Amino acid sequence: MTKASPKHPLSIPFASPVNLSVSEAIKHAVLILGAVVVILPFYVMLSYSLKAPNEIERNVGGFFGAQAPMVNERCMKRGEPEQAAINAALPDHPGKTAREVKAILSAPVEAACTTRPVVFNYSMAFSEAPLLRYLLNGVIVTASIFFIQVLVALPCAYALAKLRWWGREAVFTLVLFCLLIPVHAIALPLYIMLSKLGLTNTYAALVIPWTISVFGIFLMRQFFMTVPDDLIDAARMDGMTEFGIIWKVMLPTAIPALLAFAIFSVVAHWNDYFWPRIVVTGNRDLFTPPLGLREFKGDADGSFFGPMMATATVIVMPLIVAFLLAQRRFIEGITLTGMK
Amino acid sequence: MAGIALTTITKSFGPTPVLRGIDLDIRDGEFLTLVGPSGCGKSTLLRIIAGLESQDSGDVQLGDRLVNDVRPAERNLAMVFQSYALYPHLTVAENMKVPLRLRQLGFFERFPILGPLISGDKHRALDAAVSETAGILKIEQLLNRKPGQLSGGQRQRAALGRAMVRAPVAFLMDEPLSNLDAALRVHMRAELSELHRSLGATFVYVTHDQAEALTMSDRMAVMMGGEILQLDRPELVYEDPNDLRVAEFIGSPKINVLEGRADASGAITAAGVTLEDRIDAGTAPALKIGIRPEHLTLLPAPGEGVFSGQIVHRENLGADLFIHMDLGPTRMIVRCDPSEIQALEPGQTAHAVPQRGRALFFGADGTRIRPGAPVAPAVAAQVA
Amino acid sequence: MRNTRAHYWFVAPAIMLMAVILIAPILFAAYLSFTDYALGNQTADWVGLKNYDRIINRSSFQKMFTATFTYVLVVVPLSVGLGLGAALMINSVKRFGDVYKTIYFLPVMAALLAMAIVWEFALHPTVGIINKTLAMSCGTWLETIGFFERGCARNFPLWLGDKAYAIWSVAFIGVWQGFGFNMVLYLAGLTSVPRELYHAAEMDGARTGWERFRLITWPMLGPTTVFVVTITCIRSFQVFDTVEAFHPQGGGPSKSVYVMMFAIYEKGIQQNLMGLGAAVTMIFLAFVLGLTLIQRWLVERRVHY
Repeated sequence: MTKASPKHPLSIPFASPVNLSVSEAIKHAVLILGAVVVILPFYVMLSYSLKAPNEIERNVGGFFGAQAPMVNERCMKRGEPEQAAINAALPDHPGKTAREVKAILSAPVEAACTTRPVVFNYSMAFSEAPLLRYLLNGVIVTASIFFIQVLVALPCAYALAKLRWWGREAVFTLVLFCLLIPVHAIALPLYIMLSKLGLTNTYAALVIPWTISVFGIFLMRQFFMTVPDDLIDAARMDGMTEFGIIWKVMLPTAIPALLAFAIFSVVAHWNDYFWPRIVVTGNRDLFTPPLGLREFKGDADGSFFGPMMATATVIVMPLIVAFLLAQRRFIEGITLTGMK
Repeated sequence: MAGIALTTITKSFGPTPVLRGIDLDIRDGEFLTLVGPSGCGKSTLLRIIAGLESQDSGDVQLGDRLVNDVRPAERNLAMVFQSYALYPHLTVAENMKVPLRLRQLGFFERFPILGPLISGDKHRALDAAVSETAGILKIEQLLNRKPGQLSGGQRQRAALGRAMVRAPVAFLMDEPLSNLDAALRVHMRAELSELHRSLGATFVYVTHDQAEALTMSDRMAVMMGGEILQLDRPELVYEDPNDLRVAEFIGSPKINVLEGRADASGAITAAGVTLEDRIDAGTAPALKIGIRPEHLTLLPAPGEGVFSGQIVHRENLGADLFIHMDLGPTRMIVRCDPSEIQALEPGQTAHAVPQRGRALFFGADGTRIRPGAPVAPAVAAQVA
Repeated sequence: MRNTRAHYWFVAPAIMLMAVILIAPILFAAYLSFTDYALGNQTADWVGLKNYDRIINRSSFQKMFTATFTYVLVVVPLSVGLGLGAALMINSVKRFGDVYKTIYFLPVMAALLAMAIVWEFALHPTVGIINKTLAMSCGTWLETIGFFERGCARNFPLWLGDKAYAIWSVAFIGVWQGFGFNMVLYLAGLTSVPRELYHAAEMDGARTGWERFRLITWPMLGPTTVFVVTITCIRSFQVFDTVEAFHPQGGGPSKSVYVMMFAIYEKGIQQNLMGLGAAVTMIFLAFVLGLTLIQRWLVERRVHY
């Protein structure tokens, strides 16, 4: 049939064009206002990560700041000439006071310590705290969580969807019940159990509670239900074992669902703060990115706004950039929970 | 109630023209069918009448009223959609009450509890109108069900009820039977015709099913490629098509079409057979010959003007028997009497002759060539 | 089906993990909530309902309920309403709908903790961009409004440090972060509304957008709304990152943002009062399970297809 496909649900062509453009303009005005509020903290974060401390404090310099060269005080402190060196250098500069000599001796240090604010902020972000380590931890933790979740959930989902066995309904009911339990809520008993096992402050503690994704099982089961039985029977006829079927037949067909689940899982665990906060105490080597940022904030004095915002930017950006590159997939993945 | 007049309606979606200047005059109280294959523009034309789509140029008139700039809600037309478009969260009675509520009640009178309180009489009047319509359609016992609990045919009636409950200028129907199973469709055809007769209202009915068009309409407009090829009473469209495309679209099984040549005297040869019928001398050298299966008569033996060929397939429909004959370059379908079935085994040779004066001749461009008449104008969409 | 025992190997790991990681801790927490257990103790003493009694009668826990419910009751309607509004508007504008959609979804992707820290700067009483912007109104006609008048004469609010504002500021950030998610769910819901229904409504005489919304959009989005409200409720109950970032100790000014997850964290982890923490956990679980069961019931009741 003929398809008239206006983008919006109803385009009755006879609404007066004047009214239409006025209401359209109002809608855009409201939406733009909303967008400004939504963008504001991102703007602040990026802008502060670029600007010099004095610009941040006085709120000047627009988005980029003047980028005037600035002296890194900490770097200066470290490079400051010793009193003995000043005394030794005094005879070389007849007629000058110790203060002046110190200034002369500091000059090369000062030159070395002078940078643009943006360089200062980002280099401090990486040098004042082991930010790279945090990022690496984030990758290790989110990747292992996802990997184990799939390892556990895929066979279970296959058995629930495509095999017939005694007790299947009971297990599926159990899955549906477990869907109701928010893991964050049972953090205390989990924490006690892990600490009894001596596992706090390990990668294991960060990963173990998330190894079972009931949601993943549910999602994959729903997906496998749509895979035709004939495909599996054909694989059996070809002599594949059930185990082989899962990894060689079901896994490849499930790639789209798996990708969406991956996004769902990675976003949740990269951004998670509550659980790492509980099981990792003090050991910086295990900090995930949000924990690292929190630690940075705890240490910060007034002049460290810039580097802290640089850290925040570094932590937030990977997911934001990935999202901007593959929006549709991300929105699908994140709203997967809507399928329940 | 009123007639509908369309004048040179055009419409394109982007660069694709969908309607190329449609003129159509629908009479008051008429059952008019727009029939044609998918993508011929018939649904778009209906939606332009409804106002759900706006034409690029041309006028739509309801009675004396020019409605080009009138929105659908103000045109007072009723429409039955292919998917029925019943509101799934409302019962049948509530569905049927919607058009009355929206048109006859004020803002506050529509409130769930407040409304009946401040104008109970109006609400009772609407309920009475709903149950009266339900009575006509025999769906009283369905009034409290939701659309999800109804069968296809019941939904169809509920959708009709929603359209009928107020007195619209005309009823527009967009393939309303296409979601029903075959038996129910045949039944509903009869029922819709009866309904039309008893309401006496104007019906504009869109379908791709030529059988629906033939059985129900007062007049049918055959559309193809955004144009009306022929507008006439169903029997005339069938018997006397203006265009090869019309002849091919209407009729089941399809009309047999043979390539033919006419010599200088007007004698016609097709598939090696010289026909009894002839055209006026010098009209066209190359032409197409259309012969409907029921206009062929089986003969026991070959002869002058007789097509002979092997039977390749036999279709027994009970009341009718069709055989497919292989004529070499083409096949020919012949309707025969089922009592002759014994003699018509596939593999045997059959002989068929066109009944005199029943073969239809078309020029190379598809226009009809009538013996003893000048070549008909290409498009005969003019309205009587 | 062939007689195979493969399924044992397939489901056993999942069942074991579910039992150990999800079911056992609930039972364990239920038990702990009746004891005075602390990490490091060899034994735990049975204290009966004492923990629950404290939660119900102590003022700090009353503040916990006040803070939690204030937060939930602000965030849920606002983020659902804004999500729906944004979805409807984005769905109806002719151009740039996708751009707005992308922007509104950004906060969902960003680590809430990081964004909380950024908000803390933006809301900083003296150097924060919010108060700086508000201060620009001084000297204009806006100063005649009470709020601005007071702000210009003395100070604009200490958004996070003032007990009159603290919970509202946290709730605002909750709305900011969550409504984009609801918007996307509503957009998905809107695409599943058959367009013919709107056409039928127009033919039936629905002239205004409001009539179409009442007749079709809102009822058709019913299932989406039930789901969106439930999931927003559960997420709001679990708010923690912002509270901890702004008020690492004690739950803010006069405990005005002492939400449940923070209470669990404070009692259990910071103060090692596991019994008490477990009791809060149990109450929390009761709320969340209750909400989800209500949702399931509503969804099953409203089958209209």
